[in-house]
Amino acid sequence: MTDMSEKLSAYLDGELSADEAATIDAALASDPDLMRELESLLAADTLARDSFQAMVEEPVPLALASTIRNADTVAAPPPQRSWTGIAAAAAVACFVIGGAAGFFVGQSETGSSPGWLASIADYHGVYAAQGRHLVEVPAEEADHIQTWLTATIGADVRIPDLSAEGLRFQGARLVVAAGKPVAQLMYTDGNGRVVALCQIGTAAPQDGFATTTLNGFDMVSWGGREANFVVIGDEGRPDLVTIAEIAAAQV
Amino acid sequence: MALVSAPLGKKTVCTASRVHALSVAAAGTRVRDVTDLKQTMITSLPRLRRFARTLARSIPEADELVQEACLKALKSADQWDASQPLDRWLFRIVRNTWYSELRKRQVRLGEGQIPAEESDELIETATGEALAIAGDLRRAVDALPSELSSALLIVSVEGYSYAEAAELLDVPIGTVMSRIHRARKLLAGRLAETGEDQA
Repeated sequence: MTDMSEKLSAYLDGELSADEAATIDAALASDPDLMRELESLLAADTLARDSFQAMVEEPVPLALASTIRNADTVAAPPPQRSWTGIAAAAAVACFVIGGAAGFFVGQSETGSSPGWLASIADYHGVYAAQGRHLVEVPAEEADHIQTWLTATIGADVRIPDLSAEGLRFQGARLVVAAGKPVAQLMYTDGNGRVVALCQIGTAAPQDGFATTTLNGFDMVSWGGREANFVVIGDEGRPDLVTIAEIAAAQV
Repeated sequence: MALVSAPLGKKTVCTASRVHALSVAAAGTRVRDVTDLKQTMITSLPRLRRFARTLARSIPEADELVQEACLKALKSADQWDASQPLDRWLFRIVRNTWYSELRKRQVRLGEGQIPAEESDELIETATGEALAIAGDLRRAVDALPSELSSALLIVSVEGYSYAEAAELLDVPIGTVMSRIHRARKLLAGRLAETGEDQA
């Protein structure tokens, strides 16, 4: 029976010859136990497919995609590293954006506190799932949003046009991070995925761009006029750096 | 969870044109292929990670494996036969990279292995415990012995034939068949247990 049992899998996978398949067909017609076994294998296969489908839908870490995008393909092979060291090495990357310009990402600063970004990641986790209640003030009131948030956070708030990256402005929220008011501008892409641009007033804006991943979201932050900015989206979003660049040029 | 700073100083700016120039200098006319290769590789990352997860048992380890394999692939891009599907080549590199790592570990630890197709139980690893706690049947796949889940993935989900899977996994066709069947039987057993628990 073991042989027949194993052949059931091959039967399911279309790996049997016509003669062997006919033998299985005949056996299935006359043996209810064998038919039940086939049904259990089919159920197992369905379970496996669902599980594997869920795995492939998980977001890819930004660092992994960035490391590949910026890998040197022509120099000597990479030095041997311990496996535990590879993740740290992933933090050293050279972003190349759109063929025009890029920016260098320096050494990992794993010891530093992400500060307001941790709160932003938490907010994003909450609000990005809100659907109909995504925003506090809708996009139709864009003028009011700019006036209101500029007055509240103490820095000039502008609403960048991110339609070049397929993002549509949906409206805004006011949130609090590190004890200070933060303007949160919400955008959605064609798939309904939310990307937020957040802005916090500061007298000492961040120097240059930085990427980080917190609570399952990728973030690209930078400093501007009397404010720090961050673009946040799903972990693994390949276009987040481009979005940040486009936003940075407009705010 | 690394926070990385990125000063935009002139000395540290790395432009696409610089990368392009380097590539042209060393790779000549193949630069377009390498660019395409990278993009295709990035597009394939979800599937490469999934395959890696059937080999390595944790997500961080699977990600390290995929990264190492992709970097290897990029270093040996000239060995890629463009007439062959890229994913097959990449799966192969992921698999070889993993087994190379595994051999090192076995040498270090002096461990032997029981043939997976003879396995008669799911592995109660960290994810296996989560399976018990969460009662989440879908995690049963995580608890399959590595050789069983990779064979099942490659054939049942990725659509490879037994012969192609045998070549990719570097085992005889009969072993592929045994592993896939064993995987299904273990999952079927889990389904049956769950059904009994609920009855």
